Amino acid sequence: MMKEHPPHAKTIEVRQSPGKSFLFALPMMLLTLMMMSGGKIPADPQRLFVFTVTYLFFNLLFFLMIHTGKTDRYRATAFITYAILFIVSFISHMFEARGSMSLSQEKILLCEVPFCHLVIPMTLIPAAFTKTIIFPGTITGGYASIASMFTIWIGASLSLGRGWCSWGCFFGGLDDAFSRILKKPVFRNINPRWTYLPWAVLLAVVLSAAAFLSPTYCTWLCPFKTVTEFEAVTSFKILVQTILFASLFIALVIVLPLLTKRRTQCSLFCPFGAMQGLTNRINAFDVRIDPDRCINCKRCVTACPTLSVTEESVRAGCPLISCMKCGTCMDVCPSGAVAFHVRGTPVAGNRNIKRMLFLYAAFLFLAIFSGGTIQDGLSRIIRLITTGSMI
Amino acid sequence: MKRALKIAGYTWAVACIVVVLATFVGNNYFSAKLASSTGITISPWFSGGEIVGSIDHATYKTVIHRPVFDGLIGERKEGFIQIEWQPVTALPLVIEDGIDFTGDGKEDFAFRLDTAAGRGTLTPRNPSVIAIQTLVKVNQGWVARIQLRKVS
Ligand code: SF4
Ligand code: SF4
Repeated sequence: MMKEHPPHAKTIEVRQSPGKSFLFALPMMLLTLMMMSGGKIPADPQRLFVFTVTYLFFNLLFFLMIHTGKTDRYRATAFITYAILFIVSFISHMFEARGSMSLSQEKILLCEVPFCHLVIPMTLIPAAFTKTIIFPGTITGGYASIASMFTIWIGASLSLGRGWCSWGCFFGGLDDAFSRILKKPVFRNINPRWTYLPWAVLLAVVLSAAAFLSPTYCTWLCPFKTVTEFEAVTSFKILVQTILFASLFIALVIVLPLLTKRRTQCSLFCPFGAMQGLTNRINAFDVRIDPDRCINCKRCVTACPTLSVTEESVRAGCPLISCMKCGTCMDVCPSGAVAFHVRGTPVAGNRNIKRMLFLYAAFLFLAIFSGGTIQDGLSRIIRLITTGSMI
Repeated sequence: MKRALKIAGYTWAVACIVVVLATFVGNNYFSAKLASSTGITISPWFSGGEIVGSIDHATYKTVIHRPVFDGLIGERKEGFIQIEWQPVTALPLVIEDGIDFTGDGKEDFAFRLDTAAGRGTLTPRNPSVIAIQTLVKVNQGWVARIQLRKVS
């Protein structure tokens, strides 16, 4: 049964006056200025313009997060922008370097393929047994090296856990974007059993990668190859692989998020995401539901884009391990029962400090990690408008 | 106890912000450290394996990698050997090489590369040499991978 609740309980608690919001946002302004500029403000007018736009974009969003007390809408704006401009920047780089999005045999033989975090789960067993990485990339140096991506992954896991999937992953913004287009879902009920699928995919790709010493998910399944790079179709096998990953992209990243308003690729398929859920356990931050405030309206259950809130988890007071710390549930909760939480501290009390600590870690990660890519993507768009070419 | 947990929790949370900054500020340092401390390399299935010899042809050379049979544990039955010809600017129109990768003084296969047509012809002289797996022109020259199968 639904309990009565005080009106706007949550917003009153975490919303801040403009002056206070500015003060809370000031350290972020300084840190992002330092990190995004690398201590040097660009002298070139176009680069300065792009830098300024990116810097103001992030800091305005952060200010609004503090001022309004809402998290998800501002996070999603940055996260989706990142995903879109990542594609613009990546594809431009590929055209610049090799004249097309397709990956040639040459690049594979020379081990010049950019490494991405989605490969990580498949590399762990072979690395433990053979001290080698089963990927045609570079260990250090070059564009998207393996060691650099591992470092970022370790940093993200320690600081955000699976928050990576809502604040760090340059692909996640795509299904996040499509899941927001319709006001209401066409299909409401997804059988919760589907949430086991990413674990099955994880197990399958980890074991097959160890058996074949090849990153099987990348070769056969990764939907994001559709918008980044893929092997040139030179055989029937590669044709089958291409049809498979392009179909998965259309189904899991576009159509299903659109119809269900859930992040289906991320919550029902991605093996990296499943593995990343485990890092939620070694992380300082989690999301908690205060039973004293919860009025059992189930809005969080309906709104969670990753199916991480069930009726049982509401009763248990915390979402499932798959929670990506996106903030949607707390934004829709009418009684302020759901909130970011710091492990070891009581669920009730100091909500603003806990939220602020998490937002500082997560937003800083997003701004630093995506800042360069967003600037490059914007520059490419300006170049397209002014010269007719992005490269 | 509750107070100690609370202090530990908040300290941990602040440390997370420091970790974010360190991840990016120290990315080059940590990446290099990670690579050197683990000694990790690219799998020979992708890198082609270590170079074990070369044949000098005055203007160009033939580079021979070790045969790759590496499995997760032990060796596999199927493998390959990678051969390269470089530099690309000095290669003749037709290259003919005899390769002894077993080191027994006997040729294991002969390879004829027509650089103009981009065609290779393999003549196995050892039952473990099966077929041409890949023949690709790269920026430094040509790379061929020859499929091998262990014969007991
Ligand atoms: S689930 Fe996978 S694709 Fe989605 S955000 Fe996480 S890592 Fe990226
Ligand atoms: S439980 Fe809340 S924070 Fe976690 S993924 Fe679902 S909506 Fe986002």
